[in-house]
Amino acid sequence: MFEDFAPKLAAVLTDYSAPIQKGEIGLIRTTTAAQPMIEALAEAILRRGGHPIITAESPNTENLLMKLGDGDQIGFLNPLHMTAIEKADVMYSIIAPFNTKHGSRVDPAKQARRQEAYRSLWAVYHQRVGAQELRWNVALWPTDAAAQEAEMSLLDYTEFVYRACALDQADPVAYWKGFQAQQERLVGWLKGKKCAVVKGPGIDMTFEFAGRPWASAHGNVNMPDGEIYCAPLDESVNGRVEFSFPTVYNGREVNGVQLTFKDGLVIEDCAAKGEDFLRSRLAMDAGARRLGEFAIGNNPFIQQFTGETLFDEKIGGTIHMALGNAYTDVEGTNQSAIHWDMVHGMRDGGEIWIDGELFYRSGEFMV
Amino acid sequence: MTHDFAPKLARVLTEYCRPVKPGDYVLVMASVAAEPIVEALWEEIVKKGGNPSLSMSFPSLGEIFMKHATEAQFDFIDPALWTQFDKADVLYSIRAPTNTKRFSRVSAARMARQHAGQRPLFERYLARCEHDDIRWNITGWPTQAGAQDAEMGLLEYTEFMYRAAGLDRTDPVAYWQEFQERQAVLVEWLKGKQHAEIHGPGIEMSFDFGGRSWVSCHGIKNFPDGEIFTAPVEDSVNGTVAFSFPTVYGGRELNGVRLVFERGCVVEAHAEKGDDYLQSQLQMDEGAKRLGEFAIGTNMGIQEFTREILFDEKIGGTIHMALGEQADGAGGVNKSVIHWDMVHNMKDGGEVIIDGELFYRGGEFMV
Repeated sequence: MFEDFAPKLAAVLTDYSAPIQKGEIGLIRTTTAAQPMIEALAEAILRRGGHPIITAESPNTENLLMKLGDGDQIGFLNPLHMTAIEKADVMYSIIAPFNTKHGSRVDPAKQARRQEAYRSLWAVYHQRVGAQELRWNVALWPTDAAAQEAEMSLLDYTEFVYRACALDQADPVAYWKGFQAQQERLVGWLKGKKCAVVKGPGIDMTFEFAGRPWASAHGNVNMPDGEIYCAPLDESVNGRVEFSFPTVYNGREVNGVQLTFKDGLVIEDCAAKGEDFLRSRLAMDAGARRLGEFAIGNNPFIQQFTGETLFDEKIGGTIHMALGNAYTDVEGTNQSAIHWDMVHGMRDGGEIWIDGELFYRSGEFMV
Repeated sequence: MTHDFAPKLARVLTEYCRPVKPGDYVLVMASVAAEPIVEALWEEIVKKGGNPSLSMSFPSLGEIFMKHATEAQFDFIDPALWTQFDKADVLYSIRAPTNTKRFSRVSAARMARQHAGQRPLFERYLARCEHDDIRWNITGWPTQAGAQDAEMGLLEYTEFMYRAAGLDRTDPVAYWQEFQERQAVLVEWLKGKQHAEIHGPGIEMSFDFGGRSWVSCHGIKNFPDGEIFTAPVEDSVNGTVAFSFPTVYGGRELNGVRLVFERGCVVEAHAEKGDDYLQSQLQMDEGAKRLGEFAIGTNMGIQEFTREILFDEKIGGTIHMALGEQADGAGGVNKSVIHWDMVHNMKDGGEVIIDGELFYRGGEFMV
């Protein structure tokens, strides 16, 4: 039914999302569950004259390290990974889980140590991305684990991902170009504005973004895509949110998260499930208690929660915000080892006011 | 760690659970994810002089069928499968899911239609079970899908199953023989008794079992195992239970199930999640509203809820009851196409009182 999924997605990724040129290195980061996609992407890169490099994780190796490794082993930064990040021109990350809960029982302190070890790698990555030396995209290859998380069969889930990426459109690349034009109009309208008020069931917040642009995400760095986002001024966030959707981070599900912000900082936090984990992440570093991102999800083909942030944060009719690291393309300055997206439904009367004007209501843009 | 899992399990299955005799026709039913145990079992069956036959399921085939099947196809009974069920002396059924939520989006009506079509096969199987013509056993093999449901990595889940099956003991067969002797004492004590009352957080019920027997499950039909059960007198069940654990049936997860019984029949039923499905299953037939089984879980090697009923109903310190078809061997007469086990925690002070005498409290037997 979707036999053309891998080659079609590979074509969108290498022609539209993050085009690769002759002589460039295309790094493919994924798991062995994505074998058909690895092959299709390697073929697309080769046909465009590039050099594919593949790092594919095997199902249990990370958990073996966490189980058997001592502090030094867990804190070891693989030089192969560093070299790949230093040399690649384009990085294609393909999410393809074997088990979405693989990290549920891993000691949070060990996970934190592992993240700490890779901080320097991510610093190189962010520096190279910021200098426009490294282009990147995150996509997903459907697996049973992701399907099970979404409470779907693999066939239903495959169809869902296929449509979310607009691969069922006659010309997917043309579709994404049209989508890009629509979102760029919204971002243009937001230019020069200053203050956002977000209210509705479960949310009552304000923040400022004066001097920082909103950006349109239309398939370049994520596929599928569909959101507009900004980096709130670090000390301007105030108010309260009780996220209507669960959130999955580092292989753990956390439910019923409530956050209260004062002058940019989380001053109260709780979760119905996974509270210890939430608190361990918030204690990671100073930036973990601040918002790195505020965004509006805008993909019309994603209308269901699947437990996968790549899709959930794009659900048409939701907003999301991320604790931790901010994106430099929207002039964010917050720094953290975490970037944890949490999603909230806005369809039941949620509103966003910009400088006193109604910008968005119940999933529709009003401008 | 658990590298000897498959050969050890195969030995316990073929030497203790359901010993294979020379000339036995032995049916192994499994999914492709169970390949290591299928091979180990094959070796033991052949070595013991049996004639093995394999019925292997592949991911997505069931789901493709449910999506497209016509009335005539629902009523078609695979003659190859019929022959196997009709002729097998031993049946090893190995649960090794590749996606535990594969049927989540199939309508309850179509699921029921499929069950109804296969009813003659099921009847034939039950008739042969009744006369011990087919010596069956259900066991599990750890997969990523099972681990994900249990919110574990595969390594942790594998260790959990290994311990639950007593495979970490020096001599697992001897361990299960002793287990059998301990449970025989309990079942003997219950002989000739009449009436049970269950009190505790979330439960207030009573039923009669006069003339029915209690049966010890110690690894013959299920492996791992650990429960004692009876079939309540059909119109004697009264009271209320709000199950403390979720329940998974037909690939769907239901939460917060609450049932009220009057004179044996469910008169009120509600689920916080999955209520439609609960109601549709209760409507299946007259027997679906009655208890076919009441049981006490006794496997102290199982202390975690994993969403796999094979393990959950055995958790030491729980009780469970099944709506629908009577559990074989206790003298029950209830008939239904469903047999749906639901589990309730008794560790926080739950009590079972038999003919006025305290039999069980907080997970411990008092006699």
